[in-house]
Amino acid sequence: MAFRKIDIDALEEDAFGEDEIDFQEIGELRPVADVDAQVNSRAQEVRSLLQRGNTSGALSTSLQNPPYGAPFHAAKARNTQTVMEVLNSIKVSDVPQLVKSLSPEEQDVLMKYLYAGMAAPEQNNSGHLLAWHEKLTEVAGQGCIVRVITDRRTV
Amino acid sequence: MCLENFSSQIAERHNKPEVEVRASKEVLLNPVVISRNDKERVLIETSVNSLRVSIAIKQADEIERILAHKFTRFLTQRAESFVILRRKPIEGYDISFLITNAHTEQMYKHKLVDFIIQFMEEVDKEISEMKLSLNARARIVSESYLSQFN
Repeated sequence: MAFRKIDIDALEEDAFGEDEIDFQEIGELRPVADVDAQVNSRAQEVRSLLQRGNTSGALSTSLQNPPYGAPFHAAKARNTQTVMEVLNSIKVSDVPQLVKSLSPEEQDVLMKYLYAGMAAPEQNNSGHLLAWHEKLTEVAGQGCIVRVITDRRTV
Repeated sequence: MCLENFSSQIAERHNKPEVEVRASKEVLLNPVVISRNDKERVLIETSVNSLRVSIAIKQADEIERILAHKFTRFLTQRAESFVILRRKPIEGYDISFLITNAHTEQMYKHKLVDFIIQFMEEVDKEISEMKLSLNARARIVSESYLSQFN
């Protein structure tokens, strides 16, 4: 829009914004500190589950109630890291049965984190994530991928 | 690839690929990156009436980088004959395809998908073949040149 320098539509009251999803989902914006604390405590819990060798428990715990919405950048990054830790500590041969044991909601969240992990190939092992992706698509189908693409609640 | 005809919400009587103009957020969907490693990535951005697939080709060394650059340049200069090829790749990627609702109406969707997948499979092979023939040629040239000094 070369002829118009100010985006007047953004000033309108019912303009579509980034933080709108938080109001829709939770009813109110949660304080950032609360979400941070929740994510950190979950990271601890997941780590202790992993040390005890309970991989399926760690996986489903790490996929519970992920932080959505624009203001929680730090919490999102932290939670992605937690999920990646879990995924990397699971052997490829165990993946199919673990994926089958997840509920459909958890499968969607897992798919979101797989894409989030693949978006940063320098930090994560993409080959391992691709193996996860293949197994998850076999179980959950293409609908799972489409739900990730269309869902406004990004991780 | 459920793309539909969608007129611009910003300007009356305009109809442009929303994934390119990015003017209204509500018609854009989440972009997805699929990566095999740091160098080989595919970015897929979708919107209500268009989708953009950007590919980063594997470039292990200088020769591969030059070959990939020449190859993509050759293709993008002939973008008109490829119909869905974008003239300029997205930043950070080597080649981009832009598919709009007009393309999906004109052509078979599954053939479009096949074309992109085939392109991705072929391009690595093509570049490594070119690299081999380039090395062989360089060897022959240097041999015939240096043999004069025998």
